[in-house]
Amino acid sequence: MSKINEHVDKLLQELRRGTITIGALSQLYEPQYGYSLVTTLKEKGVQVEPGTLYPLLRRLEKQGLLESQWDTSEARPRKYYLLSQTGKEVLDLLRVEWQNIARSMNVLMEEETNEDGDD
Amino acid sequence: MKMEMIDRYVYGVTKRLPEEQRADIGDEVRGLIEDMLDERVQGRDVTEEDVREVLLELGHPRSLARKYQGNKKYIIGPELYDFYVLIAKIALISTVVGLTAIFLIKVILSPINIIDDFVDYIVSFITTIPMVIGWVTIGFVLAEYFDENKFAQIKLDNNWDPSNLTPIPDPKRQIKRCEPITSIVIYVFVIVMLVFSNEYFGIWIFQQGEFSGIVPFLNEAEYSSFLILILIVCGFGILKECLKLFYERWTYSLVTFTAIVNLVSITIFFYLLNENRFWNPDFMNELVQNGIVTNGSDNYQVIKIIWEQMTLWGLVILVLGLIWDVVTGFIKVRKAR
Repeated sequence: MSKINEHVDKLLQELRRGTITIGALSQLYEPQYGYSLVTTLKEKGVQVEPGTLYPLLRRLEKQGLLESQWDTSEARPRKYYLLSQTGKEVLDLLRVEWQNIARSMNVLMEEETNEDGDD
Repeated sequence: MKMEMIDRYVYGVTKRLPEEQRADIGDEVRGLIEDMLDERVQGRDVTEEDVREVLLELGHPRSLARKYQGNKKYIIGPELYDFYVLIAKIALISTVVGLTAIFLIKVILSPINIIDDFVDYIVSFITTIPMVIGWVTIGFVLAEYFDENKFAQIKLDNNWDPSNLTPIPDPKRQIKRCEPITSIVIYVFVIVMLVFSNEYFGIWIFQQGEFSGIVPFLNEAEYSSFLILILIVCGFGILKECLKLFYERWTYSLVTFTAIVNLVSITIFFYLLNENRFWNPDFMNELVQNGIVTNGSDNYQVIKIIWEQMTLWGLVILVLGLIWDVVTGFIKVRKAR
């Protein structure tokens, strides 16, 4: 059983790694700081560790998909991230791609359940 | 203690990252830890245990730093890079200084050969500098490889505890960078001089303004047998100074290592000087032969006494210097407690 869990964990990890980037981008039309994004994603059912998200945000900024700004007006200085113009355009295109993938994947995965049911 | 644990954690992450990102990521990680603490305590006071749990949740500073680094592979990673550049610079400067000194000595001794010597000088740059840089680089590549021996460490990373985080260097125990750097330059200079031009180490005799010979200080017949001992002493000396530069502060283990190296050095010096093989045994006779002094004159007596006392006082100064090195280190460690 533990062998199976291992496989599941590994495949899930790979799956999450790809989706977390789009997930994070999708929540950044309004500026958010790292931990508020962790919370937002969690509320919407997407678990992500801050240790993964923070470096990811920084990378996306370096790639030019996000912009950032330190807000020092509050007691605790926080770095806010926001989609850049490029980021918005990229995300719009990705959204279409994602919907295609999700649709096709659903078809594939449901086929599998049906076959299971027939047995 | 709570703040200190956070400071140590942030330091543990940022010291593994490229210099230009350290401040920004440091602020970010600190903010993250505080946000996580806020969520955890919901308004009550933060305890040490809360900090511990939050840090455990974030994982070992090394693995967080790796995530920030991305999947980049390094031959010499950011943790060692600054130090690598520093040591490479020191090695280069010492080599250039040493080679230049040899060139100047040769020119002073025989100005006629200046063109040949200059060609030698340039050639020695081309042969020596890549060798020096090469060895420094290989040393650091090995250090990086063994430091990051990934498999062992990933296992260790899973049972770490925030209470064993490395402390941030304390200014009271700090070693000023210029001290070890100066020492390394002197060591390298000594090595270069001993290896390439020991024959010029003596009293230079000029007759009618012309260079006519050297009365060497050292015993040339035995020279090759003790050269290796001196090189060993210098090698350990350089290693010791490199460790001082790397740790940037005195620790008990650094003091212990310094003490051992210095003790070995003192023993080797005692051995060399007591055996009476180190210095030129015919020094006084040769001086007389070259007409510097006449046998039996007052000058002869003075020089003879200086010559004989030089060993003793040289040894005393050396021993005191090496002991002082250990004592200051020890005092600085104690003071910081």
